[in-house]
Amino acid sequence: MTEMNKDSASKDIEFATFYVGGALCGIDILNIQEINKNFEITKVPQASDYVEGILNLRGRIVTIIDLGKKLGLDPVNKDKDNRNIIVNSDDEHIGLLVGSISDVVLAQKNDIEPAPSNIGGAKGKFFQGVLKTETQLIGILDIDEVLKD
Amino acid sequence: MFEDDETLQMYIEESLDHLGDIESDLLTIEEAGENIDLDLVNNVFRAAHSVKGGAGFMGLTTIKDLSHHLENVLGLIRTNELIPDSTRISVLLKGFDKLETLLKNIETSNDVDVSDHIAALENITKSSLPETQQDMVSEVINIVLQDGRIFQQVSLYEIEKYKAEGKNLFLVEYDLINDIQRKGKNPIEVLNSLQKTGTIIDSRIDFDSVGTLDDTAVPSRIPFQVLFASIIEYDMTETLFDINKRYIHAITDQMIVSTSAIEVVPQSMALAGKAEPEVLIQQEKTASPPQTVLDPPAPKTTVAQAASPAAPPKEVGKIAKETVKPVEKDLQVAAKTQTSLRVNVGLLDTLMNLAGELVLSRNQLLQGINSSNSKATEVSGQRIDMITSELQEAIMKTRMQPIANILNKFTRVVRDLSQQLGKTIELEIEGKDVELDKTILESINDPLTHLVRNSVDHGIETPLEREQMGKQPTGTIMLKAFHEAGQVNLVISDDGKGLYPEKISASAIDKGLVTEQQVADMSEKNKMELIFLPGFSTAKEVTDVSGRGVGMDVVVTNIETLGGIIELDSTPGQGTTIQIKLPLTLAIIPSQITSVGNERYALPQVNLNELLRIPAAQVKEKIETVGDAAVVRLRGELLPLLNLSEMLGIERTYTDSKGKKVHRDRRESTADRRSKHHLTTEDALSDAPDAPPVEREKKDRRYHAASAINIAVVSAGAFKYGLIVDQLHDSEEIVVKPVGRHLKKCAAYAGATIMGDGKVALILDISNLAQMADLSTIFEAGQVAKAAEAAAAAAKDQVALLTFKNGEKEHFAAPLNLVERIERIQTSDIEQIGNKKVVQYRGGALPLYELAQVADFSPLSQKEQQEVIVFKVKDRELGLMVTPPIDAMELSLDIDPSTLKQTAISGSMIINGHTTLLVDIFEMIKTLNPDWFVQEANVAAEMAKDGEKIILFAEDSAFFRNQVKGFIEEDGFKVIEAEDGLIAWELLKERVDEIDLVLTDLEMPNMDGFEFTKRIKENPEYAHLKVIALTSLASEAHIEKGKTVGIDDYQIKLDREKLMKTVRKHLNLS
Repeated sequence: MTEMNKDSASKDIEFATFYVGGALCGIDILNIQEINKNFEITKVPQASDYVEGILNLRGRIVTIIDLGKKLGLDPVNKDKDNRNIIVNSDDEHIGLLVGSISDVVLAQKNDIEPAPSNIGGAKGKFFQGVLKTETQLIGILDIDEVLKD
Repeated sequence: MFEDDETLQMYIEESLDHLGDIESDLLTIEEAGENIDLDLVNNVFRAAHSVKGGAGFMGLTTIKDLSHHLENVLGLIRTNELIPDSTRISVLLKGFDKLETLLKNIETSNDVDVSDHIAALENITKSSLPETQQDMVSEVINIVLQDGRIFQQVSLYEIEKYKAEGKNLFLVEYDLINDIQRKGKNPIEVLNSLQKTGTIIDSRIDFDSVGTLDDTAVPSRIPFQVLFASIIEYDMTETLFDINKRYIHAITDQMIVSTSAIEVVPQSMALAGKAEPEVLIQQEKTASPPQTVLDPPAPKTTVAQAASPAAPPKEVGKIAKETVKPVEKDLQVAAKTQTSLRVNVGLLDTLMNLAGELVLSRNQLLQGINSSNSKATEVSGQRIDMITSELQEAIMKTRMQPIANILNKFTRVVRDLSQQLGKTIELEIEGKDVELDKTILESINDPLTHLVRNSVDHGIETPLEREQMGKQPTGTIMLKAFHEAGQVNLVISDDGKGLYPEKISASAIDKGLVTEQQVADMSEKNKMELIFLPGFSTAKEVTDVSGRGVGMDVVVTNIETLGGIIELDSTPGQGTTIQIKLPLTLAIIPSQITSVGNERYALPQVNLNELLRIPAAQVKEKIETVGDAAVVRLRGELLPLLNLSEMLGIERTYTDSKGKKVHRDRRESTADRRSKHHLTTEDALSDAPDAPPVEREKKDRRYHAASAINIAVVSAGAFKYGLIVDQLHDSEEIVVKPVGRHLKKCAAYAGATIMGDGKVALILDISNLAQMADLSTIFEAGQVAKAAEAAAAAAKDQVALLTFKNGEKEHFAAPLNLVERIERIQTSDIEQIGNKKVVQYRGGALPLYELAQVADFSPLSQKEQQEVIVFKVKDRELGLMVTPPIDAMELSLDIDPSTLKQTAISGSMIINGHTTLLVDIFEMIKTLNPDWFVQEANVAAEMAKDGEKIILFAEDSAFFRNQVKGFIEEDGFKVIEAEDGLIAWELLKERVDEIDLVLTDLEMPNMDGFEFTKRIKENPEYAHLKVIALTSLASEAHIEKGKTVGIDDYQIKLDREKLMKTVRKHLNLS
């Protein structure tokens, strides 16, 4: 245990990746509670525009956020590939509505490079950094920043 | 201090439990005065004693000292040596308060200075003793054991007291390790069992003999010493205490040594001892020694002074004023949320049983589902439904606490405050058993305290003022709790000076909270409610009692956050009543489910007054626009309307009556109903663009039932408004769930809930919605409009009519106030007896008539069912068979009394484009049943003999004038008519000697009924005349206004029977 903490820089992190519009984003898989495709969403008029609505997740009320709108991109295109990524933040479950989900990518912390100010049109402040794979560029989301109200 | 957390915790809980009832007990003792209720005193005494017993053992020296002194005083009261008067009880109360505070802050208790409390208590003890013994009270002695060890700092007074009672004294040395812990006992238990056979004078742990960690030898025992007084002889003690006789020391006089004889005072015990000798000095100086932070400075002087019985009563008020702060502080301590809760074991068993049943039913349900057995599934579904409700109820019960927990405290609050303000006030509490959810109970504590303080401070007058007002010098404040309609009601009423609406409004204007214009349109009640506005305070000076920078607005806000409602009612000079309605619990609330667009919204039932549905055909006339806001007329009141879809920015929808398809609604405003003319010409065009060319209904949908407007009439605080929704669904019990942080700033919602189908519905926050819409401005506009309208209506009389039909084209109307009910009966139930028709109805026979019997109208067509309007005349009911539709409406009477006049028809008017005949029910009955009126005829004849009574009747409407005059004359009176108040006034001046009674309309040109009455009543020549006012709609405001000018009675026009009864009453005729 202690050994793992020492060289956390080279520790393996698994990133769940998904598409928001054309941008490929990722978050640490340990942040994720579950991924579902429950779209019985109740609209909340007067909420911020990025709030898609609220959802009954086994008796809990979960706010669903359109990640596209939140990141300043186009709203997520509604189709059959849509998923809610439920993350746990400050004792609260919050759902991120994404276009479609992709692979789980294994990387090390020092593989992550600082984020440019703009990733595919999304504001840089939402990203911890970028991860370059052989074929793609993954924007690693800063969950706390994204979920700030 | 003793470090065993568990034991300490147990001690604290037990002690607080003991202290729980003390306050009320002490107050009862105070009330009883000399007639001491021994049981009560014993109760309190034992409580103090138990606290002391444990404290010694725990090393809580301060608590021990304080409780010890309290116990001494109580002991004296118990033996009738001391009369519990108000000052003494005050000292005791404060002492117990302090004790409670100490217990609640146990860690720091030893550092708190309680010397002033102790001094005051000692003073009381001393005053009751002969002089020779007085010194004993504060004298402490040491007990020297045979082996030379010393048990220090024992009160000589107590030792002597027990010796005088003939008790034997023992010092028992338990060993915490061997005698208690190893035997599986608990020190507190040991103390409790000792209490049964004698009295514990003192107890402590002898830490000195344990040694320190540096000592090489491991201590073999931790002595726990108990100084014990009992009637038991030394020989018996071994069995009683269950320890070796070696450790039981009988105390003889030789062992008692004065403290001064021993020089060294070991450090560990110094703290306890020190306080006492110093006390005397403080008493003389009345100077305050340096204080610890925890001890507020105020009680210092107070207790000391109040304790001396010689303190002149005048000072009590002044002194007590200083005590406000500590009381407040204690209340705050008490309001600290509990973390543990006592639950009845029986209730827990019930819960367990229910949980068991739930598991069984679940198994059945799963089995049923697996085997696709729909019958079994259904049965277990029902069972689960039942069990869940029971479970819910049982769990709720565990959270329920009797309201006595907080109400009882007010006895003390009122007592202390009234003393300090020099008022005598009795507090009556009713309904202590009413139970409320724990959270609600905790949260209403502060608002209630504020209201009670207000009543004491601002409400009740001083005894002198009260006597001048002709009231009992003692004021009464009543606290009442009761259940009603699934809610808990709390009523705080006082018989004090009440609220003066004019003063309040003047003050509100001064403070710039409202404008004069606004006030002018307000009713008295609205004016009084101004005190709920932020920034309002009626007291001329802000006193330290209720004016604490918090106003009634905070009370209102607090109560509203709990989902409660607060109502105010006051009669100037008579008192004030404040009623609070609270939900039983916050977690589950009954709600009305509504929908707008595709979403459902829950509307808490607490806020819901009624549901209103305005049929499509009436929308145009019922809904009006004032400024740019829509209002609806509801029973003569203008109700602002809010469109939920507009508020929330949702697209409205309507359901197509035929295709059940949901369409977007394109109306621009609520009142937007295109006129008929519009329809015929542009109909096809206007609907073409967005609707697919569906086949159009014969009747346009805006006249279809589905196109009606659904309004939920809601109220929150001062606001009452109508919320327009697309659809109204069922009323359901919903579970409130919190929403996430992203939605916190959406003020329109109070939370969310999960519906039966698993989808989420938002819960509306009615009071926030009102604020969002800035309803106050709409209100204002509404008020202005209303005033304008009232002026217009003054010329014409509004009257409530019931309209119906006889034949297909014969429209009729009758005054609504004569109507009892409307019934639908089976034609087959009608029995023909002779030439009369009757139907069995509520155990009697109801005679049935139709209009064709009295006048030339078409007979009713035969149908399976028959609509009957039931009228009540002369205490008898009769039914008039009519043809629907039957509708009630209010309108200005514009009657043509001549053109269509015939038997039983008093005139005609145009209603909704139809010539409508007004039925004169009395005439109808008279024609049909002349014998009903025999008595009247006799009376009339008799009266004619005796000389007629003359009535002056002022009325501007010719129709009413003729109507009313007609039936008054029929009863044998003579009538002098006047067309308005001014003419009536002139007539009165001329013929005052003849006139026996004045009957007047209220709304009249030139001089209205109010002015007319005022003139009569102000003139001594006419003031003896009784004035009966006739109104078409009796409104509260009218009646109120009428009272002030001296109107003796009110009657509604066209209610002949009641009017004549009243006339006779006022003329003293039978």
